[in-house]
Amino acid sequence: MAQFFNEEVLNWLASWFGGSVGPGFWLGYVLAAAVHIILLIHVVAVGALIFIWMERKIAGRIQDRLGPTRVGGKFGWLQTLADGVKLIAKEDITPKDADHLLFKLAPYVSFAASFSAYMALPFANGWAAQEINVAVFFIIAVLGVEIFGVILAGYASGSKWSLFGAMREAAQVVSYEVPIGLCVVVPVLIVGSMNLVTIGEAQAGWITNWLIFHDPATFCIFFVYFTCAVASVNRAPFDLAEAESELVAGFHTEYSGLRWSFFFMAEYGSMFLVSGLAAILFYGGWNGPVPIFSEILPSLTGWKWAYEQGETAWRVLGYVSQVAGVLNFILKSCVFVTVMMWVRWTLPRLRIDQVMTTCLKYCVPLAAVFFVGAMFWKLSGTRFINDIARHRTPANPNGQTLADVRENWVLFNEKPAPQPARPAEPPKPAEPAHPTTTRHAPPAASVAAQEATP
Amino acid sequence: MMLLAALNWHSITFLLFALIACGFAVAVVATSNIVRMAFYLTLSLGATSGLFFLAGAPFVGAMQLMIYVGGTLVLLIFGVMLTAQARFISMKTSGGEWVMAAVLGSVLLGLLVATGFSVESWRKPRADLAAVTLADGQTSTPIGLALTGVRVDKLNTPAETEFEKQRLKGMSGYLFPFVIISMHLLVVLIGAGYMARTKRAGSGMALASAARAPPRVRRRSFAVTGGLISGMVANLVLAIACFAYWLTPAAAAAEGTATTSTLLSQVKTFLEPAADWLFPVLGGLFAVNVLLLVIVYCWQSWAVLGLIAVPLAQAAAIGNSGLGGTATIVFLLLALAPAALLIMLLVTGPRPTMWEQMD
Repeated sequence: MAQFFNEEVLNWLASWFGGSVGPGFWLGYVLAAAVHIILLIHVVAVGALIFIWMERKIAGRIQDRLGPTRVGGKFGWLQTLADGVKLIAKEDITPKDADHLLFKLAPYVSFAASFSAYMALPFANGWAAQEINVAVFFIIAVLGVEIFGVILAGYASGSKWSLFGAMREAAQVVSYEVPIGLCVVVPVLIVGSMNLVTIGEAQAGWITNWLIFHDPATFCIFFVYFTCAVASVNRAPFDLAEAESELVAGFHTEYSGLRWSFFFMAEYGSMFLVSGLAAILFYGGWNGPVPIFSEILPSLTGWKWAYEQGETAWRVLGYVSQVAGVLNFILKSCVFVTVMMWVRWTLPRLRIDQVMTTCLKYCVPLAAVFFVGAMFWKLSGTRFINDIARHRTPANPNGQTLADVRENWVLFNEKPAPQPARPAEPPKPAEPAHPTTTRHAPPAASVAAQEATP
Repeated sequence: MMLLAALNWHSITFLLFALIACGFAVAVVATSNIVRMAFYLTLSLGATSGLFFLAGAPFVGAMQLMIYVGGTLVLLIFGVMLTAQARFISMKTSGGEWVMAAVLGSVLLGLLVATGFSVESWRKPRADLAAVTLADGQTSTPIGLALTGVRVDKLNTPAETEFEKQRLKGMSGYLFPFVIISMHLLVVLIGAGYMARTKRAGSGMALASAARAPPRVRRRSFAVTGGLISGMVANLVLAIACFAYWLTPAAAAAEGTATTSTLLSQVKTFLEPAADWLFPVLGGLFAVNVLLLVIVYCWQSWAVLGLIAVPLAQAAAIGNSGLGGTATIVFLLLALAPAALLIMLLVTGPRPTMWEQMD
């Protein structure tokens, strides 16, 4: 995008003054960064507005009432804005006993962590602020920093309720981070990349290609992931750090006004983030259940619609398919956020020992067993729903994932194609050279192949 | 405008991150409040990870965030909050500690600076500085594959020594050191768990002993005892037979069929199409069955479920080995019948039944 700004916009402007701008000019990078930041800030801030209204409506319906009905005409859809005005008007209080510096900074630590994790989250094929090739890992790492703000807030408030909340949060962090890491690794291993764009694109095609249908173990591990994800964003039944009925408001007891609302923006931001991660890792990301743009429309019209990974040229048809992809992605993520709200207003809160038992004694062994199961399934090459209608492209006629390609490098001594300069991942070699190469070669065949080609 | 364009923005961002990292590192030393120290340390380490991102190594940067900023600091604060006696505890350092720290720190700093400046290529700018592009950051895939024993960057290297010729191409990764480190970490984990346990044992395990029921007099009927022991013997014999069949060379087995035309030879012709891996698997599962029967004998109810699961697993193995569906079903019936009989014996009989008495 920075190059686009430099070459198309700034160069055009500079030509008016008789100058020229190269593709590496710094102003283009600043403009591109500003556009990315403004878009992402709106995902977090406007997202929080909508989700808080949604939460109130859903809570109301679950409790057999209507929820907000008046502000903004129908459905009370401006309720959150009214809340926001109230929050801005509130007095910003710092308790006498608090550690003033940390107390003031803690909400921003939480919010900044939740927000910067969005940098690596792709909303459609290639539409990420920064396409990091270890995006999954980056997001999980940055989400851990968000908890640091919560703990800091609890400690710096100088109140026993806040301190209790922070202690519980610290105990909760060490218990859920282990299983969530194990769960996230399964799609990474199946696809063979930590790049979220690659993982999403590996699930292109029909609904059967979504990774949740890769094998029964992956199907089960999604539910482990979702449980841990709910724990990681401090939502009921894991909202021990707040626990209104026990700790007043837990770690944010002493906060008021805008600082308080920053914690909530961080919470709703990370809810959408872990939901988006679930959508990409297990539910196809921006690929809809029917491959309208990647298969159906190209075969009907003969034109090329969907972007391929690494393609940067601007096309109208590609843009249309990208926008459809973004809508798909946001819809899927919103479904998961709704499920989180549904869970919150349905289940009672767990005790801290029950949280640790759930995460460490149940989720970790379950995730470990499903992890091994998924890997056995993949290595044994047993067919499952994923194999019904693989997404085939001219560049990848067998519908292989990167992991399959790399297995072939080793098992069949295939040489990888030379790597071009720009793409985010090593390219997929075209038709595998060895005649016995199938998508999953059974181990016996691979040994025979090694012996045949010394 | 032109002045700004002339600046090297990579260097400026580098300097910014480096200043944050060094400045807050100094702040860690200068402050006396422990939690503030932790906070400054986060900023310092976070800026270090920013340096890694700037260098185009997102994997190392994310690792820095995960391990240091995420893990270590949460543990640190956890520890501070658990051990602090008063609120907002401050560290009081004596003059002697300052001197010791200054000597140690300056020695280490001197060593690092001397090492850093001794590297020839780090002292002057590269000749081809204009040609340097931003790194692609394709670090994670080769690192991960090398840790699992595959060097994708060495796939095309020609073999030179005899050992390299015999080895598969690219198979010179770091799997062994990786496994050793993993084992080391596992030992540390077990050790930490052990230490945590011994502390609790000091308080007398009051809860566990109170919750445990008084020892019961448990009676085992003769039929169940006989069934269990005969089951152990039968399974042991079957396990040994399976392993023996597997270990017998094919040639000797063929001679055996030529000389004796008895029931044994019919069994052998029947087993001929089975895959080689079937017999060790079957034998192992029969051995597991023996173990499960011993566990049932020791009043553990979960082993009974295992007694059902093992025949199912064996049947699945037979079904996949090429012996045909009929053999699978016959085996399943033969193997599940005694297990079903045993369970019937366990759950029937005078109350309390054996099942109810089991743990």
